[in-house]
Parts: sequence; structure tokens; C-alpha cells
Amino acid sequence: MTQLQVLPGLQEMVDSLVKIVTSRTFLEIVIFPGLLNVLLSVAFLTWLERKIIARVQLRIGPLYAGIWGVLQPIADFVKLLFKEMISPELADVKLLMLCALGLMMLAAAPIVTIPFGEAFVIANMDIGLIFVFAVMSLFPSVLLLIGWGSNSKYSFLGGLRSLFQQVAYEIPMWLSVLGIVMLTGTLNLAEIVRAQQKVWFVIPQVLGFAVFFTAALAELERTPFDLPEAETELVMGWMTELSGAAFMVGFMAMYTKFYVMSALITTLFLGGWLGPAIIPEPIWVVLKTFLVAVVIVTIRGTFPRVRVDILLRTGWMRLLLLALVNIVVTVILIWLGLGWVWRV
Amino acid sequence: MALGSWSLVAIFELVILVTTVSLLAFGWLMGAKGKNPIRDAPFESGQTRLGEARLRYMMQYYPYLIMYVAFDVIAMFLFTWGLVFATLPFAQEYLFLIFVAILVVPLWYALHISGRRDLW
Repeated sequence: MTQLQVLPGLQEMVDSLVKIVTSRTFLEIVIFPGLLNVLLSVAFLTWLERKIIARVQLRIGPLYAGIWGVLQPIADFVKLLFKEMISPELADVKLLMLCALGLMMLAAAPIVTIPFGEAFVIANMDIGLIFVFAVMSLFPSVLLLIGWGSNSKYSFLGGLRSLFQQVAYEIPMWLSVLGIVMLTGTLNLAEIVRAQQKVWFVIPQVLGFAVFFTAALAELERTPFDLPEAETELVMGWMTELSGAAFMVGFMAMYTKFYVMSALITTLFLGGWLGPAIIPEPIWVVLKTFLVAVVIVTIRGTFPRVRVDILLRTGWMRLLLLALVNIVVTVILIWLGLGWVWRV
Repeated sequence: MALGSWSLVAIFELVILVTTVSLLAFGWLMGAKGKNPIRDAPFESGQTRLGEARLRYMMQYYPYLIMYVAFDVIAMFLFTWGLVFATLPFAQEYLFLIFVAILVVPLWYALHISGRRDLW
């Protein structure tokens, strides 16, 4: 205490620091909907995926680290952190590092506006939906840069495939959400959740949901659309030449995107935090998110991969047209005078 | 102290940035370092590396990219329309459906062009 009295400015600094650290905004950013939530969910998702895929393939999966192998992601984390970062010859190492960094920042950004409960949203943006899509549309360019920077044919082909795939499925994805925007008249994600109090959007927007879900699988580069990292052809796609901590960051970014996309499906179509009040709001969101994730992982364990031309044609012809049909269906729904159900 | 949405986004991104940079830096410091021409060669399934990796592949997908640029703008217009849809007078709702119908024609044509191999 005596030292603090010697420096009167220090006490105030410590006080203000404590005030900032214990403030709700800071806790939201660092702990619940923010950083810690993302990291823990990513760790849990990798374990869940390995376990479910193992069950689908009649194996057991991770078993020794912790009960049912729950601590396996932490073991992997430590292992990858201490691995050597090999930079292939003529590769642009600075570009690779920067891209891994950018990938993680882009993947986590939508968490800022996704509501995890009436009071658990970091930034309640009025243009939340547009923000999420804007961030997602930056992904393909980063993936292409990684493919280009690592000076390997596998990486480059993987990066190119990612680019075309994500570009092709972005438009159907946006247009499938347009029906919701028309019904609610807002782009604010929390408002969209509140509009679902009577009926969730899966019911009136079932076509939009199907299109969004399929496009989300393609955006996440998951089976049946995992062409960019088709293991039998392209080794690990654009991640082939990343190693050690850089690989870990890239991998984390992909799983963060997976988590964010599942949370987005929950928010837009499955009623977000809404549900019986026995379970608290944030837990509803997390539960629904993991349910969506389990469905996506099960699809990965069950379906074969599609061919690249079929992929592009499905995206541009079938899904885009279905999304347009969904808009027409929504217009008819509003003309029939049912719009009031989802207006706040 | 009330913060605007964008400053919150900036703070969140900063937190992610610091975490990721520290992970990368830790990996860089802790991992072994060294040069080995064989190990540093790009992975090509154990074969000797042939030719340049930075090639110009797959330009047959070019029409798809052009379509993306066009539909991006169209999607933006559709979003602004959808946002005010319920408050629009009937005549304007109806006009935009015609726009959507017209949209399908160039889409079909672009897909037709991109499907013809002799044009690549």
C-alpha cells in the first residue's frame, strides 16, 4: 500500500484497469460469446467430430486422454505448438503467416454480432446480417493467397478449388436469407431471433433453410463438397504446406468458421435463444449450435464426394433457382396476409 | 463508457489478433529450426518436383467469376428491396418480381456459355 501512496497516479490506473477488466463488455469479448467460448467450442468440436466419425465407421475414436478422450484436443494443441514450422522452398513464409492470421480473424469476426441470448451479444449491429456475409465473402481470396504463397501444386489447386466453390455458393446463400429479411424487415440478428417468437423460420422458410444449409456445407468445405481438401487427390488442399503452429491456426480458423456457421443457422432458422425457460438462453443457443454441428458431421461420415462440375452446376442452377423460388414463396406468404406472424 | 459497434468489433479483432500472433510466435520460438533441401521441397507424393507450381490453371471457370460479380450487385439490390418490402405499395412489389424473372434469363445464358467446352 505504501508504494501505491508514493505514486498517486498508479492507484487510479489500477482502479481504472480493474474497472475495464470487470466491465461487462470486456467479459463478453474475452469470455462468453467471445474468445474463450470460441476456443473451447473449437476444441470440443474437433473432439466431437472425431468421435462421431469414428462411431459412423464402427471405430471407437480418441479414448485415452481424459474420460472418453475429451482432452485429446488439448494434447493435439500442445503437440502442434511444439512442432517445427517447415517452410517449403520458394514459399512466401510472411504471406503464409499473415494469411493464417487473417483467416482466424475473419473466421471469428461474425461472433461479434451473433446473439447468444437477449443480453449476450457483443455488438448489436443494425446491419449484422450484411456484416456477417461481408466477412464471409473475404475468405476465398485469403485461401487463394495461401495456395499461391506456399509454392506447391497441391496447395494451389486446393486454393483455386476453394475460391470457385465458395464464390459459387455465396450468392444462393445470400438469396436464401432474403425471405427472412422480407418477413422481418430488419438485418439485426437479435431482432430476427425475436421475430421467431411465434413460429421459427424453418417452417415458413423451409426451402430457404435447405438452400442455406447446403450452401453452408459448401462454404465450410465439408463433405459432400470437400473438394478443396479431397484427401485422396489433393492431400490437404490449401493447408498442405502449412505446418506446426501455422497449421494449427489454419485448422482452428476452419473449425471457428464451422462453429460460427452452425450458430448462424441456429440464429436465422432455429429460433436462436428461444425455448422453454428451464434452460438459460445462452445454453439454448450453444445446444442448438452443437446439434446443427452434429448433423453436419454425420453428413460428413455418410455421404460421398461430388464431382467438381456437378458442384458448380448445383450451386448456380439448382440452388440459385431454389433461392429465387423461395423469394416468390415469401412474397405469396405476405400477400396472403401471414406477414404479421413474424413482425416484431 | 458506451462503445459503438465498430469499436467493439475492432477490440474483438484485436483480442483475436493478439492470441493468434502469440500462438504463432510461441510455435516459431519453440519449434526446431534448420534447413534440409529434401524436407523443404514442396510435397509431391514423394516424386521429384516437376516444373513451376504457380501456374494459371482452370480459366474455364472464368464465366462463373464474372457471374459472381454481376449477382453480387443484384443481391445487394434485392436486399435493399426486401428490407422495405412490407411497407412498399403493391405496384412496386410486383415490379421487382419481374426483375427477378428477367434475372433468370442471363443466368441461364451464362451457364449455357460456361458449359460449352469449345469456348474455353
